[in-house]
Order: sequence, then structure tokens, then C-alpha cells
Amino acid sequence: MEKKVAIAGFRIAAAPDLETTRERLVFDLSKGLLDDLGITRDAVDNFVFCSNDFMDGRTISHVFIGPAAGGYMKDQTKVEMDGLNAMIYASMGIISGQYDVTMVVALSLTGSQASPYLYTDYSLDPTYDRQLKLLNELSAAALEARSYLTAGGYPEELLDVVAAQDLKNAAANPGQARRIDGVSRERIKGSPYYYEPLRELHCYPPTDGGCAMLLVSEKKAKELTDKPVWLLGMGRSTDIYYLGDRDLSTSLSAAQAAERAYAMAGIKDPASELDLAEIMSLFAHQEPLLAEAMGLLEKGKAAAAYEAGDTAVEGRMPINPSGGPLGAHPICATGLIRAAEAARQLRGEAGENQVKKAGVALAHGQDGVCAQQSAVVILGT
Amino acid sequence: MEETKVVTGAWELSTFKFNIEGRGLQLMLKHMKDRKLMGIKCHQCGTVYLPGPFYCRKCHIRIDEPAEVSDHGQVMTFTIGYADVRGNPLDEPRIAPIVKLDGCDSWIMGVMQGCAPEDVHVGMRVKVHWAEETTGSLQDMQYFVPE
Repeated sequence: MEKKVAIAGFRIAAAPDLETTRERLVFDLSKGLLDDLGITRDAVDNFVFCSNDFMDGRTISHVFIGPAAGGYMKDQTKVEMDGLNAMIYASMGIISGQYDVTMVVALSLTGSQASPYLYTDYSLDPTYDRQLKLLNELSAAALEARSYLTAGGYPEELLDVVAAQDLKNAAANPGQARRIDGVSRERIKGSPYYYEPLRELHCYPPTDGGCAMLLVSEKKAKELTDKPVWLLGMGRSTDIYYLGDRDLSTSLSAAQAAERAYAMAGIKDPASELDLAEIMSLFAHQEPLLAEAMGLLEKGKAAAAYEAGDTAVEGRMPINPSGGPLGAHPICATGLIRAAEAARQLRGEAGENQVKKAGVALAHGQDGVCAQQSAVVILGT
Repeated sequence: MEETKVVTGAWELSTFKFNIEGRGLQLMLKHMKDRKLMGIKCHQCGTVYLPGPFYCRKCHIRIDEPAEVSDHGQVMTFTIGYADVRGNPLDEPRIAPIVKLDGCDSWIMGVMQGCAPEDVHVGMRVKVHWAEETTGSLQDMQYFVPE
């Protein structure tokens, strides 16, 4: 895809408890972002929100937060999925030529004010899955983890290795909510089981947070930033809801979404052409599972790649140099944060976690139990 | 026609909690004890909100300038309700006007008494009927009556 849409800037917030309101979080993120760029709401012509009515405790919940983002009397719509879908949707308004400047704001307060358990319970099929009282996001992920480990011939310890890399990166990233100093594989292995084989430190932490991102047309990019990050490709795919109708050892949705994004970006060999990937892996096993599905790691070779340091910040194929969602998962915002963290790398602003050569990056987002839906964007300088 | 089956369900919502903005509402409640209405004014566009938000919804800037609002105003629009908000019939019809208080830009909704449903009209002057004993709660402002 030609360079038509750029990320001009972004703001991220994440903590176990932000001690804020939805309105104030939206105001602080959006106002902060506009201040960073030296502009006001007058420069923005379209607003795309991403939150979840159920977790917001209100229906059509974005109508309350529109003005807090500066959206008074502007176009405002909402995507009720992961935030990477909001980014893709927002970019279409710019590609179509209708808008030049679009603010995307994604958020949830699922650390302090709404339970992620409740949210996932009510996302289940009410006639069978919910009645069983066996399935929730964690138990489903555990079934997926076992399936993946078995198919790949991997030991359970792979989960500790992946989590240790992510949590080490998260500890060095001030934008993360869960930051544990000197985290070790032993400490991770010593954390309690939730659902075997998944332990507490293999799973995302309930998080308050959000992300505001300003997407702009090529014309506006030149005016607003000297470090534009371009959207080069995007793709989405959705699998069947029912776990029994899917292959849980891999992710067809991630594979297809990535394939579509690669085709648009002209990428033929993702493992060699991409410089880093920010993957929405909510549980440790999902990171290598999704990376294999998207062609970033060779199938069956993930354990060796992690042990060899290929996926570390300084490795051949850095994965989640930000620390990924094991550091923070504000539901709805997490995929958008992946894109923002990828952009931070491409701008050379990732501090301790900066990947040396960062020219092209992948960001992945997901929705539904076991990544039923996947969204992928390719970003470049 | 294909057969369907009905199952009942309940949504357990008790684990929700909400942080709310306190300042504008606290300011309003504090002064209601003295039968005064205190809003917040935007220093940029001049809009007076009641209760006052922490930011101007139009200008997208933080605001914190208190502005007293009159307890007199006029009916901007109204409806006569025959059912409550969940659709249950009321014993008596209820007049529900939206009133623009003098010196305030936000319109506020309330119940109107001391007036027959057929006599209420848009533009009608009204005032707040305060509780005998005010305590600094929203109940201090009981209803509107004709001026």
C-alpha cells in the first residue's frame, strides 16, 4: 500500500488502578496527545472510540466520552472490538479521502472498576457454554495452551521462558502496568496455577488503561510530525466462535489476517523482512503460537528460537519488546497499544527496549476467546 | 416454522463500580445547603454548566471557575408523563419540564408541582421549591413551581 495514512502521535496509560474516571482518562490521553503535537481539537475532524458497553456499565457508552476527547460536534463512532480494529476502521476514513485527521481512543477500566471474569463469562454462548460453568477465558486459554504445547512437542517450561522474556521487557517499559524487578523463570514457575498449564505469571494482569492515537493523511503528516510512521498493510480474519470447531493448536485467524496484511505491504518473507512484532498474546503460550501462525517463527522451532535469544530485544526477530500484554491488558486498548508500541520502536524512542534496526514492524490484535478474531497491521518508516 | 425454545437468564451486575467526578457535584451540593446553585463556567467560551464538569465539553480545556446560578428560570420544554421510566403506569400524571435557570447554560430536568398539566407552557417562569430543611443533598431541590 502507498503511504497514505500515518501515525502522527500517541499516548498510552496503564496501571492496576488509575484512580480515574472514564471521562478523565479520555480527556488526559487526548488532550495530552494534542498538546504533544501543538494542536487543539480544531485540527481533528473525526473521532473513533473503542470500548465495551458491558464493561462501561452503560449502553452506547461512547456518547458520554466524546466531548472529553474533544469530539464536540464532530464525527464520532465506536468500534466494540479490540482497538487495532478501531485503528483499521479509522484509517479507512482517511484512505477514502473524507478525513485528514482522526483521533482513535480506546480504553477500559478492567483493573479497578469492572471484572474481566464477568466480561468473558457474558461473552459465552448462553445456552450451553455458560450453563456448563467450566469455560471462561482462562480455562479456554489453558485448553489452547495444552493443545499448542502437545502439537509442537514443547515442554511446559516454554511458558516460563516466554513469560520471563516478556516480563523482563515490561519491567523496563514505563508504559506497562505490571513491572516486576528481576523476574526469573523460577519465580514464574513458582506462581500459582490458575488452570493447568497456565500460572498467574503466564496470564495478563487485570488493567486500567487506554491509548489515544492520531492518524493523519500524507498531507497532514508532513505538517504535524517529522517522524511519521506509515501504515503499509492491514488484514483481518475471524474464526468460528465454538472452540470445538477450531484447531486450538494454532490460530487460523492470525495466519489469514497476517497473510492479507503481508500481501498489501508487499511482504514475501515476514521472518526476514520484519524487524519486530508486537503481538497481542494474553497468555504466555499465545506469543509463540501466534508468531508461528503469522510466519515469524518456524513451526515446531519456537522453543529453540526463544532459548537462542532470537525473540529478545537484541535478537533476530524481536517479539513484544514492549513486554506485551503480560505487562498490561486494558481490554479494548491492548491491540491499539501494540501498534503504538511498534510505532515507538520505529521512531527510535523505545529507550532500554529499543530494537537496533527498526524499519518495518507488525502489530497484532485479537478478540474473543482464544483469538477467535485477529487483526494485523504492518507499519514502517 | 422451525421450533425454538425459551430459556430465562439474569445478568449479575453487582460487581460493577464506578469512579465519578466529584468536584462539580460537591461544589453544587455544598452550596445547596444555603439554597444556592453553584455551577462552573468555562473561562474561554463562557458556558456555565450545572453541575459543573472538570472540563468544557465544547472547548476541550480544563475549567474550575465557580459561577452562581439563579434558582429562577423558564420552561424550555416539558412532557406530561403517564408512566415511569420503565413503563409502569403512574397514579397521577407527572409534569416533567426542562428548565433553563437564569445565568446558566445547561438546562436541567425536574418535576413540576403547583400547576395543572393543562396550564404548563413553554416559556413559563418557574422557581426551585427548596426543602424545609436543607442538608446539602440533591433532595434539597425538591421540584419546580410557577414563579
